[in-house]
Amino acid sequence: MFVIVTYDINEKRVNKVRKILKKYFTWVQNSVFEGEITLGKLEKCKRELLSVIEKDEDSVYFYEMEYKLVCNKKVLGQEKNYDSIII
Amino acid sequence: MQKTLYITSNGRLRRKDNTLYFETENEKRSIDIENVEQIHIFGEVDLNTKALNYISQYGIILHFYNYYGFYAGSFMPRKKNVSGDVVVRQALHYLDREKRIFLAYCFVESAVYHMMRNLRERKEAEAFLNAIDDEWENGKFNISSISELMGLEGRVRNIYYSSFNQFLPEDFYMEKREKRPPTNPINALISFGNSLIYSTVLTEIYHTQLDPSISFLHEPSEKRFSLSLDISEIFKPLVVDTVIFKLLNNHQLSLEHFDEDLNYCYLNQEGRKIFIKELQSKLETTVRHRQLNRNVSYKGFIRLECYKLIKHFIGDQVYSPLKAWW
Repeated sequence: MFVIVTYDINEKRVNKVRKILKKYFTWVQNSVFEGEITLGKLEKCKRELLSVIEKDEDSVYFYEMEYKLVCNKKVLGQEKNYDSIII
Repeated sequence: MQKTLYITSNGRLRRKDNTLYFETENEKRSIDIENVEQIHIFGEVDLNTKALNYISQYGIILHFYNYYGFYAGSFMPRKKNVSGDVVVRQALHYLDREKRIFLAYCFVESAVYHMMRNLRERKEAEAFLNAIDDEWENGKFNISSISELMGLEGRVRNIYYSSFNQFLPEDFYMEKREKRPPTNPINALISFGNSLIYSTVLTEIYHTQLDPSISFLHEPSEKRFSLSLDISEIFKPLVVDTVIFKLLNNHQLSLEHFDEDLNYCYLNQEGRKIFIKELQSKLETTVRHRQLNRNVSYKGFIRLECYKLIKHFIGDQVYSPLKAWW
């Protein structure tokens, strides 16, 4: 499945959250990650996040799509190509 | 599907923030380590044991290639799927002459089938198709040893390669197949593609219980993981050659993508990128499997081939090699 993650986290914890998300997704913009992931790994990621965030202060949004094509992503201006498989 | 990563630039792989970073002089990129299955390294890359330890936790395999794009070796994390039983039975199939020839024959049969499949739709290659058919049909009943089988395979392959001149652009004329070092662009392409498929097969074998060093068609004493050479035979014409045809006939690759020197020839960095991209999308292409009733990618077919071998070794089901039906 294809997932877009956005977050709004208190400055004290924002780095912890970013580091966790980096393992699972590609970083596309400040506070935005996206990428293809399996259901199991997504649950694992959510569990890791829950142990870090304060529930009444922070929020993480997951936009989950079954296929990447459903997302129909359009870009204005610069597109950073961080998810290419050839470095 | 788990990702395959190709690193063609120079830099450093480093463990940082509990994930993997690839750093070059002017760029720093984080790698989503959870989704990576294998990394092919072509550039000059530094890495330390801290990174290797972390990589092995996720069971990621690193494949290294030398400056010329030839396979140099792999870093394999501790194998998770081990089964002494399967290995012993695999070895028994090697020791028994009849059983060994059966398996070796299967690999060659499938390879020849796929070679003919590649030529079948090309009008220019009809004569060669018939020649291969003659050679194979006459030869296949008189095989009494592995070396005879290898000889027959070699003759078939020669005819196959000589047919390339009929339908590939003139720039890519090939007199004969040459390796170590390849002397012209088309040989360079075949060599590069084969070393990629070789390590991809190795990755798939690694995820099963098979022992990659016990092989049947190739002699196991070659100091290599020769089982992956055996299985690669099936996929070389099916995957690599079709990618080469596509890239050349669509003029995506041209002579400017090759570095030529006095007596050898290699793909340059730009050319490698084009080739890798096409090969990767080919490996991810899916086909509906008739028995499994689901879509299977070309890469998945490599894994299925391994499972079929295991079933054969433990006496569950007789091995029948893949023959593309689509």
